[in-house]
Amino acid sequence: MNQPYLLKAENISKSFPGVKALDKVNLTIEGGKVHTIIGENGAGKSTLMKILMGMLLPDEGEILYKGEKVKFTSVQEAIKTGVSMIHQELLPFPELSIAENIFMGNEPTSRILGWINKKEMNKNAALLMNKLGANVEVTTAMKELSIAEMQMVEIAKAISNQSEIIIMDEPTSALSNREIDILFGIIEELKQQGIAIIYISHKMDEIFKISDTITVMRDGKHITTCEITEIDQKKLISLIVGREINSIFDKKETTPGEVILSVSELTGLKFKDINFNVRKGEILGIAGLMGSGRTEIVNSIYGLEEIVKGTIFINGKKVKIRSPKDAIKNSIGLVSEDRKKYGLVLGSSVKHNISLSILEKCKNGLFLNLKKENEMADAQINKLNIKTTSSDQLVNNLSGGNQQKIIIAKVLLNDADIIIFDEPTRGIDIGAKSEIYKLMTQLANEGKALILISSELPEILGLSDRVLVIREGEIRAELSQVEATQELIMKHAMA
Amino acid sequence: MNFKNLLPTRLPAENSPSIAMYFKQYGIFIAFVFICILLTIATPNFLTLQNMVMVLRQISINGILAIGVTFVIISGGIDLSLGSVVALTGVAAASFAHPGTHGLFVPLLVGLLIGVTIGTINGLIITKGKVAAFIVTLGMMTIARGLALVVSDGRPVSNLSDSFNFIGGGEFLNIPIPILLFGAVILISSIILKYTKTGRYVYAVGGNENAAKASGINVNSIKLFTYIICSGLAGLAGIVLASRITTGQPNAGVAYELDAIAAVVIGGTSLSGGSGKIIGTVVGALIIGVINNGLDLLNITSYSQQIIKGLIIVGAVLLDRKN
Amino acid sequence: MKKIKLGSLLLIFVIWILAGCNRKQKNEIVIGASMLSLQAEFVVNVKDAMEARAKEKNIKLIVTDAQLTAEKQVQQIETFISQKVDAIILNPCEVEASSPAVDKARAAGIPIINVNSETKSAADAFVGSRDEEAGEIAMEQLAKSINYSGNIVIMDGNMGQAAQIKRSKGAMNVVAKYPNLKIIAEQTAQWDRAKAMTLMENWIQSYGSKINAVFAQNDEMGMGALKALEQVNMKSKIVLVSVDAIADALQAVKAGRLNATVYQDAKGQGEGAIDLALKLIKKEKLDKNETFIPFKLVTIENVNDFLKK
Repeated sequence: MNQPYLLKAENISKSFPGVKALDKVNLTIEGGKVHTIIGENGAGKSTLMKILMGMLLPDEGEILYKGEKVKFTSVQEAIKTGVSMIHQELLPFPELSIAENIFMGNEPTSRILGWINKKEMNKNAALLMNKLGANVEVTTAMKELSIAEMQMVEIAKAISNQSEIIIMDEPTSALSNREIDILFGIIEELKQQGIAIIYISHKMDEIFKISDTITVMRDGKHITTCEITEIDQKKLISLIVGREINSIFDKKETTPGEVILSVSELTGLKFKDINFNVRKGEILGIAGLMGSGRTEIVNSIYGLEEIVKGTIFINGKKVKIRSPKDAIKNSIGLVSEDRKKYGLVLGSSVKHNISLSILEKCKNGLFLNLKKENEMADAQINKLNIKTTSSDQLVNNLSGGNQQKIIIAKVLLNDADIIIFDEPTRGIDIGAKSEIYKLMTQLANEGKALILISSELPEILGLSDRVLVIREGEIRAELSQVEATQELIMKHAMA
Repeated sequence: MNFKNLLPTRLPAENSPSIAMYFKQYGIFIAFVFICILLTIATPNFLTLQNMVMVLRQISINGILAIGVTFVIISGGIDLSLGSVVALTGVAAASFAHPGTHGLFVPLLVGLLIGVTIGTINGLIITKGKVAAFIVTLGMMTIARGLALVVSDGRPVSNLSDSFNFIGGGEFLNIPIPILLFGAVILISSIILKYTKTGRYVYAVGGNENAAKASGINVNSIKLFTYIICSGLAGLAGIVLASRITTGQPNAGVAYELDAIAAVVIGGTSLSGGSGKIIGTVVGALIIGVINNGLDLLNITSYSQQIIKGLIIVGAVLLDRKN
Repeated sequence: MKKIKLGSLLLIFVIWILAGCNRKQKNEIVIGASMLSLQAEFVVNVKDAMEARAKEKNIKLIVTDAQLTAEKQVQQIETFISQKVDAIILNPCEVEASSPAVDKARAAGIPIINVNSETKSAADAFVGSRDEEAGEIAMEQLAKSINYSGNIVIMDGNMGQAAQIKRSKGAMNVVAKYPNLKIIAEQTAQWDRAKAMTLMENWIQSYGSKINAVFAQNDEMGMGALKALEQVNMKSKIVLVSVDAIADALQAVKAGRLNATVYQDAKGQGEGAIDLALKLIKKEKLDKNETFIPFKLVTIENVNDFLKK
């Protein structure tokens, strides 16, 4: 290995219909280093990674691997050469064991009949998992594992493929702090062995903790590459968004109005005896760990989940909400935590998604008024600054931030007075995040009542007027804006 | 509120669609034209006005069925009971269509009503009973076939009135009635899917049922609607068929659902739901129709016909999807 | 919960009905019959004749429908054997594949009679007609009608089925005799009226007035071809003959629309089968164990005789 680098991508360009996703991008990856690639969603990171993984072919440019020109036409080829990827959304075979997942497609087989040598496979898998410091039985089915453990299996798989470059796409998005520490330990270990990590993340603190080198991309272009020590957070953010950002939270003092929503002794399958109310112009934060029941509470208010007992009052009147239809009628809107499941029809156009729940308003008698629908969609696209080639673009082709904005557009068009934001900024780049924060503040100022659920405590603290902390399906604390701190919230959330 | 200046806004739209894009959108039409050109070269009898009218009349029954099942497939379901419903509605309508008994209106009403009833039953069991559509309609396939045999006592119901036979055999302004009915079904269903709220909801339910529900759509009633449309149109097809062959045949329509589903899939509608167009289904039915017609015209033996038919269908879809 | 209740009620109901159907009374003679397909009119006619004769003789007759599959047929015979019926009547689906049914019945010592068509393993008795004969009679009449010279199209039944093969063979025997007869097209319409209509339309399109005569291997297809010809006013120029003499076809012959059909005696076959079964049950000696019921040509001259039957 005479080259000072493992992989070098030169002048890579790639276009999709209507979009230039990559424009002459250069990237050099060195062994034993963590190279972070950062940029807003839609900046071209995923396209670049797909090209490195052989999932897409570049229109222009070439890739050198240890000085030799390579052309990956399939994922298998990339893996064989030495590049592996840990996807953000893991794709394991849930019914198969850890060992089977690690060696999928690469099973140790007996020489004569090609039978899989299970014993050897399990032994090797155990060795690998031990090396990673994971203490699990390798015959356990994949579906029994936590997300962190599944990630570990994916990393083990990459090592078993003798990868020299491992791409990690937002690996910490679903991990707890303790799990993140373990992951970072493993990354250090991999670095020692000369393996290069391409790290993709939106989390600033993580990036500064783990990276050696950082590359910023914006709008399909390479902006800069530098050592992490040469840059600070403020400078980095301004490079990412292409402008200076002073403060992403812009919360003004508000004087909440009268109570618009209150729930009394609300009990469901995963929560019980929930009492709270929300006032007009107020943002109520709900904090708690994942699985604490916080999502189930708001889903039940929106009619997505069964209410066993308890009452919901809107404007002091008792209402029955059996389905989202009832909720919408009572002017409740939900920006769901799982936007692919509950938010969007991915195979439909931007326009059709935006108008889906208000088609009633774009009708002339029996028929739809397509012109009116177009105007309405275009107005929302402009208002919320949704980046799309046209309102006929499929939602599937949009970045996470823009998809989220479509969901928000839907809720706004419904004239919701009570809007629930469940993890509104998960997997969204920093530019879109700040837009969503601004929008939320604005909505509150207009007199809407907002409920915000988030795992990101700065978000909760920066936006909420009051914070409820949920643990094991019950409200454990109610904190005012003044008293709430990260430490206090975590204390109640974790007990 | 104006965030417009914060970020570069919408990306520039592409100026002219490339040939590849064009082909992608109209691939199946091109495949259809291609098949027609081949047949025109192969036999002089193919591209005549008379033959074209005949092909249209021959595909009208499969076409009507295919349009019905297009609704169901777009909404993410499937209906396997079509062929049997054709037989049942055919014999039931024929039983009321003997000369000098009930006139024209009653048999038509009976056929359509039975279709609608079966659709309602299918839809209710699928939505309220939460049983897979595949199973429910498979069951209905044998139940409806059995009912057709019971109603007719296993024999063709013949001796039908001239007015009833006019539906399948008559003409209006020189156009055969089945073609007119088919045309009306195309028109109305295209309008429903494109220009009504219900039509839009059908796509949403098939695209993402959860999101549709969370958007305040009554998913169950949309699904029920698609099954009613589907079986109702099967009822219409049953009437047209009985009238065309001037008998209600209890063993008619075997495997018609497969031809209908084939037309839908050839026409570009995904079996996983959420997308599809009526016009695609019509072209799909046309492709199947001209292949049948062309191979008969060329007097290709029945054994080879089946092979060629299969190859052409797969080839046409490949031509469409490849791009 | 409601669903479970409803589902189990439904199942119990069905089982109860089935149980009620098959209860055997003492000293009653029970005959089991497995029919080719009760969706075919001719087979239904045979079945009706059997049922009528059975009622007359005070015999309990269990009829099952093999729905054109030999495998199902063999299972039905196995069920009859385990029910210990006194005799079995088999209307075979296929020559080879239905043979095991005959072997099993004989092994169990239950008399078995083949009706309408034969199996490879010989049954105790056979009653039916020679399908070749139908093809011969029809084609002979057709040839005569066009003065033994002209172009003929043939509509086959389902390719490979015994009736299709034999009727084809019979027809071809006749065609071979007359050098001026020419088959210009042969194609299957799968015994189906709608398919036959479409096929005839396509033939008219490609051959037009070149066609002098049409032979359809059954009346269903014949009726479909007739519709297609009448639609373009060509029937008067073209001779059309088919086989089976179903009610529709007889009406058409009477009205002068269909030139001829060939009567297969469903009643004779059905009654014959029951009579043979009864003799075998009573261990009477049979004169001969093959009874052939002849086909009869039906034209406008003699159609009234058949309409009465």
